[in-house]
Amino acid sequence: MEALKLKLKQQIIEALNLQDTKPEDIDDNAPLFGEGLGLDSIDSLELMVLLERNYQIKVEDPREGRKILQSVQTMAEFIKSKQVA
Amino acid sequence: MKAKCYIKGYAAISPQESFSGGFAPHLLTLEGKNMMHVKEPDYSGFIPPNSLRRMSRVLKMGLTAALQCLRNSNAKIPGAIITGTGRGSLQDTEKFLHNIREYSETALNPTPFIQSTYNSVNGLIALQQQCTEYNNTFVHRGFSFEHAVLDSMMQLAEGNATEVLAGAFDEITDEHFYIKSRIGYWKKELTQPAELLESATGGSIAGEGAAFFLFTSQPSDICLEGIKMLYKPSEEEVQQALQNFLSSHDLAGEEIDLLVSGRNGDARYAQFYDNVERQIPDAKVFYFKPYCGEYDTAGAFGLWAAIKEMEQWPANNAVIYNNFYGEQHTFMLLRKVV
Repeated sequence: MEALKLKLKQQIIEALNLQDTKPEDIDDNAPLFGEGLGLDSIDSLELMVLLERNYQIKVEDPREGRKILQSVQTMAEFIKSKQVA
Repeated sequence: MKAKCYIKGYAAISPQESFSGGFAPHLLTLEGKNMMHVKEPDYSGFIPPNSLRRMSRVLKMGLTAALQCLRNSNAKIPGAIITGTGRGSLQDTEKFLHNIREYSETALNPTPFIQSTYNSVNGLIALQQQCTEYNNTFVHRGFSFEHAVLDSMMQLAEGNATEVLAGAFDEITDEHFYIKSRIGYWKKELTQPAELLESATGGSIAGEGAAFFLFTSQPSDICLEGIKMLYKPSEEEVQQALQNFLSSHDLAGEEIDLLVSGRNGDARYAQFYDNVERQIPDAKVFYFKPYCGEYDTAGAFGLWAAIKEMEQWPANNAVIYNNFYGEQHTFMLLRKVV
């Protein structure tokens, strides 16, 4: 799980071009939107694409996406659950 | 078009040290390719970090040049934002097309698509300045900037605006350089800007840049008196058009002090420039393409360079002549207001 979260943080930084941000700067449980990283709605679309490209997971329901993209922790848990399934 | 259009402020990002506002023409030394890139300024003083991280190069160039122009003009919200671009954000277009291929038309990232649209820069300027006025982008290859100028003059003439932010932006990428090299846009042999105008072969050096102007109906130091565009004219038609253009402003060729020429070293179209120089025999000639390269909206850098030359040199009347690969020809007339 820790390895997955680290990888996810690296992928988020690269995909969103978060200059001057390092994986260790991102708290596992910090909100990705609003506070925390301060991402916006376009970023959420990019994170959906990230999940599809890197983990072959397509999030169809936007309401589900809101829950999944709350934090790195929730994203990692979602990926893990899909991989187990 | 005879409406008075004064130039209140301007800014340019180019292969020259132009962003600071000065202009000491410097011929670059090219390595490997006939391609020159702009000297990018520090964008952080203009664009919030959260927006900056998402923008591609030409968007940053265009937005920053526009904002610097407004700062230089002590203006905030213009009455219209009008731009021209021949290619828009090539970097984003290429990224999006590559993604389509790489991911078999699935999992496409929205950002490059959004930003690849030609009017992205205009939208960003409007958003950042909270400007809800007239907003238009012209995409007409070598006439893109020129149509933005014409539209600006019409907006001022009709009283729709008293200040118009007008500009142009284009970038060059390795991929676009390659594509255009196949249709003879660039010289096959490595050619230095210092040798460009002596070249006897076809093609030119690729360039890029962003330049913005604040046009106003209120009198200022320099007036853009008129613009004339010709599409695929013959040599005789260009000569006749220049004569008519000057006489419509009560001028003869001998009264022009400064000719700012878009001669680009392409031997296939040199005759047009030769003819214009013969018709304006007493003018000091400044060739701007060795300093910015050739691109669809290089005419915007030409206008910027003409203003800088007029500021530094006692020229009362200046003509800018540019043509884009022999197809789109433009004359602009500048007059110093005394």
